[in-house]
Amino acid sequence: MTPASLASERPAAVTDTGGARIQIEGLAMQFGELRVFQGIDLEVGRRECVSIVGPSGCGKTTLLRNIDGLLRPAEGVVRINGAPVTSPPKGVAVVFQMFGLFPWKTVYENVAYGLRMAGASKEQIREKVPYYIELVGLNGFDKAYPYQLSGGMQQRTGLARALAVEPEVLLMDEPFASIDAQTREILQFELLRIWESRPTSMVFVTHSIDEAVLMGDRVVVLHGRPSSVQEVIDVGLPRPRTRDTLATPRFAEVREHVWSELMQEARQAERELQ
Amino acid sequence: MTAVALRLPRTRTLSPRVEVVLLRVAAGVVLLGLWEGLVTWLSPYYVTRPSAVAKVFWEVVSNRPTPLTQLSGSFWFDVQTTIVAVFEGLAIGVVAGVIVGLAMGRLRDVEWALKYYIGALFAMPTIAILPLMTLWFGYTNTARLWIIILGAFLPVALNVYDGVRKLPVTYLEVARTYHARWWNVWFGIALPASLPYLLAGLRLAAGRALVAAVVAEYLLAIKGLGFFIRSDTQSLHENQAMVAVVMLALIGVAINASIDLATKRFLPWYRREGR
Repeated sequence: MTPASLASERPAAVTDTGGARIQIEGLAMQFGELRVFQGIDLEVGRRECVSIVGPSGCGKTTLLRNIDGLLRPAEGVVRINGAPVTSPPKGVAVVFQMFGLFPWKTVYENVAYGLRMAGASKEQIREKVPYYIELVGLNGFDKAYPYQLSGGMQQRTGLARALAVEPEVLLMDEPFASIDAQTREILQFELLRIWESRPTSMVFVTHSIDEAVLMGDRVVVLHGRPSSVQEVIDVGLPRPRTRDTLATPRFAEVREHVWSELMQEARQAERELQ
Repeated sequence: MTAVALRLPRTRTLSPRVEVVLLRVAAGVVLLGLWEGLVTWLSPYYVTRPSAVAKVFWEVVSNRPTPLTQLSGSFWFDVQTTIVAVFEGLAIGVVAGVIVGLAMGRLRDVEWALKYYIGALFAMPTIAILPLMTLWFGYTNTARLWIIILGAFLPVALNVYDGVRKLPVTYLEVARTYHARWWNVWFGIALPASLPYLLAGLRLAAGRALVAAVVAEYLLAIKGLGFFIRSDTQSLHENQAMVAVVMLALIGVAINASIDLATKRFLPWYRREGR
């Protein structure tokens, strides 16, 4: 499967992305001598999910931190709603791989954290926190501490905390990477359900090709050292996506394509080592 | 056949809990017995031994001003004086230690400015600057209070600093993503996250505060259990002095037990974290 043939088979129903929310131009990142990525250009629409895949160490997570303004890029610029990002902008929420829950706070207080920091009123918190706790399926666990929850439930809490601030941009940093396979699948479909009911700009960083294809309207494949965008693949799978989506020929086709892109690099890297 | 049937497996008649308590008591009795025996065998009659301490125990704790306790006055007054001084000093020292520790952990300039001095003061026996304190404050309760504060402040400051330096990066990323102000990062995140370190520091601080109080009372000759021990020993009432020593041990144990209790009661998440 070559990129050309994939593009020709692209279904006509391309998602309406609502115009660009995130604009990344000529982005490069460097830690000391180590150049992580360079020349990254990417736009993410207002109602679009862009997945980012690539080999370990290619800078997926770093790129996400650049978008959130947690890290300053070496070159280039990230704009959100047209404004250059220099520090974490308003309206951006992140779901972290290691959840980033505060162990001394209950589920309720963890979910309320973003709202409290944004100066939400008591009424707003009393109204929104239970709503989002219910939305992620954690009813009855308000008073539980993270240590009393499974990994999956902890990440539900992390998701609720991010959703509670009703962000325009949702950044997902390998959110399900440290969760067991079955729970991971459940959470993927719950996230799809939640996101598709109220789509925003979402950047989904993952190691899993299946996950990238399932979640994304487009899949960005990073490649090389320092890495850059090797290919941007239009997934073209209709929404809402469900478990049935996994069984469609289109899903298999896109997944194989992304897989071969990544494998090509893996083989090349192996050859270089020899 | 019958012989075999009668030989039942030996059953434990004691629960493990009771066994632990029995073992503990037995060890105590053996240690006290050794002390009693060795002193009786080897030393002159006036050397302190458990039976002699037991004999004067009631007399001391019933606060009777006998000729034996006259030098230091009433026992419970001394107990109270020492405890109040220790808690005053602990309170001030811990609060100051937390603030300085947080500042050192969060602000690079403060870290650079203070790290080595606080480390050096901690490594030094705090009691060594007691003479300085007497120059500044005289042979007074104020000198004692300052030496207790110092004893409590240093381990707390260093431990909190350590804890804040080891703050998981994700916590800070969460804080920055949601625009936490500095005071929330300090007191809402860095402080609770370094609580295990703070508690370890608190234990050290409690021990050091008690030592500081007793030594200050002892050397400065000011009211308290330290002076009680000194005056009774000097007037050859070692047995009475030992009662004060036992009391100090009990105070130390009580402080540590209340730290444990408070941790379990108010920080249910803490020990489950596996940290």
